[in-house]
Amino acid sequence: MAALGYAGVRKDYGDVTALRDLELEVGEGELLALVGPSGSGKSTALRLAAGLEDVSAGSISIGGRDVTRLPPAKRNVSMVFESYALFPHLSAAENIGFGLRARGLPRRELSGRVLEAATLTGCERLLERKPHQLSGGERQRVALARALARRPDVFLLDEPLSNLDAQLRVDTRAELKRLHQRLGATMVYVTHDQVEALTLGDRVAVLHEGTLQQLDAPDAVYRRPVNRFVARFIGSPSMNLLATEAEGELLHAGPFDIPRPRGLRARRLEAGIRPEHVELAGDGAGTPARVEVVERAGSETLVYLVADGVELVARASPDVRLTVGATMHVGVAARNVYLFDAETGETLASLE
Amino acid sequence: MRDRETRGLVLMLLPYLFGISVLVALPAIVTFALALYEYDLIRSPRFVGLGNFDELVDDEVFRISVRNSLMFILFAVPLRLAGAVALALLLHRRFRGVGAYRTAGVLPTVVPDVAYALLWLWIFNPLYGPLNLALEALGGPTPRWLTDPRAAQWAVIVMSLFTIGEGFLVALATRQSLPHELYELADLEAAKPWYVFGRVTLPLMAPTLLLLLFRDTIFSFQANFVPALIVTEGGPPPYATTYLPLFVYQNAFEYLRYGYAAAATVSMFLITAAIVYIQYRIVRRWRHAFVV
Repeated sequence: MAALGYAGVRKDYGDVTALRDLELEVGEGELLALVGPSGSGKSTALRLAAGLEDVSAGSISIGGRDVTRLPPAKRNVSMVFESYALFPHLSAAENIGFGLRARGLPRRELSGRVLEAATLTGCERLLERKPHQLSGGERQRVALARALARRPDVFLLDEPLSNLDAQLRVDTRAELKRLHQRLGATMVYVTHDQVEALTLGDRVAVLHEGTLQQLDAPDAVYRRPVNRFVARFIGSPSMNLLATEAEGELLHAGPFDIPRPRGLRARRLEAGIRPEHVELAGDGAGTPARVEVVERAGSETLVYLVADGVELVARASPDVRLTVGATMHVGVAARNVYLFDAETGETLASLE
Repeated sequence: MRDRETRGLVLMLLPYLFGISVLVALPAIVTFALALYEYDLIRSPRFVGLGNFDELVDDEVFRISVRNSLMFILFAVPLRLAGAVALALLLHRRFRGVGAYRTAGVLPTVVPDVAYALLWLWIFNPLYGPLNLALEALGGPTPRWLTDPRAAQWAVIVMSLFTIGEGFLVALATRQSLPHELYELADLEAAKPWYVFGRVTLPLMAPTLLLLLFRDTIFSFQANFVPALIVTEGGPPPYATTYLPLFVYQNAFEYLRYGYAAAATVSMFLITAAIVYIQYRIVRRWRHAFVV
């Protein structure tokens, strides 16, 4: 029994289809990351589950119960908004207890539940404060505590970390993961940030233009993307994408020559190579490439090169000495090359 | 650059400053001064000190006018405010024809006062006016609106309840500026409409509503002038709908007692100031609840 299920869900806004034929099941206690660029339909999917929007077709179930026609109040889900949606005139405690009070929980139970939820997110010392007296990270904790206090069947999180600064985002991400593991709660986590999706999600669902592209474990989404979109969207910097030309038993992809797989001869192909798979050498084998830009980021170095008139990005160890304008030699192992159908974008083979 | 900016600003403010000094500040000063004189446009003004005020205190009609004005404010201001908020909450969503309804809500406010008053003269007609016809059809009471003292006072209040266009627009804009996520969250948390109204909407609109309250209190002292002049003519006798503005008007332009009218105007100003001050003091006590 799925904690949250989408069956053939479609959402149209006038002539625009925001979501088409979504089939998706979130397991009990699972944290599913819903990731995609803006306009991909990820927030729509979340709002449909919450009941804030009505489906155009299909059905939604929570805990095996069809909730498609139920109002938000009857679905027993909690939501954390990107803007936190804290009531500015209420204290943190009143914000956390808002839903409980609205549902008529007796006062003596109320304060206990509020404190319990606040302690889980580490905001128990902020309870008397108003939202304007809290920092962004503290507000985020209060919003999360409010979602927890209700003990819902499903947590819906809409980009909850995107208003935090980088360091805090990483810390809070880890905290959220711990919290999820501890509570074993079912969560749907919407984000446009693929790193967040990969690090947080038990599984990752990639959406693009209203269509579910791939639903898989984070590792699988990264290693075995089903199409060019997923391959390019997951991973930073994006996978290098090269047009190919067949010649005998070989495929020319920019500066690289790779063996031409059998059975794919009829189609026009594109080759994808992740930056970490571009091999750099000072001399010897490989095609010469000119170093254009070097970005040192401490634990790794990103190198932008031009080889045979094609731009490439490579991830190198920080120990490699590089100077702009120098010539390096680039190569790739055939097993690290992805091949896509140039028309449909579908992944045809990873030579792995 | 800064000098030029300042000069530009002063230049643009000048017409307004000119208008406010000639049309508001100067007459106000003259009125304050005139309150200490006796003046009938014919003989030259005669200084009487606080004599006019002494006379006001003993003037039965003035006392009735003050009482009428205060009673009018007591009922009209809260009802007008509630009406403006109710209309705003009813019409803040988008739906088919909402523009027409909003326009209808504002329209009575922009109709010229006299035309508006004449229209109500017809509506209140006890025999063939639509109000009593409707009340009769529903089996309700059919008061003789403009000849029964109590009914006439209510008639003036009822008339004031439809000229709430400005308050409505301000309340509408305030409601629309509240973040919709708060209401989505309230939806998800199963908050009932009245709970949301009391716990979310009202507190968040409160700063604006307080402003409207002060403004409407000041405004309402004058709002009953045209109805009282045209619809009820200060009656039914003797003075059931004689309010302070009508008292001032009659003394100035019917009895040509300009000094006495000015003294009444000054009194009206002081009473308004006192009420607003009291409101402000009350509000300040629980203001911390609204600070956002």
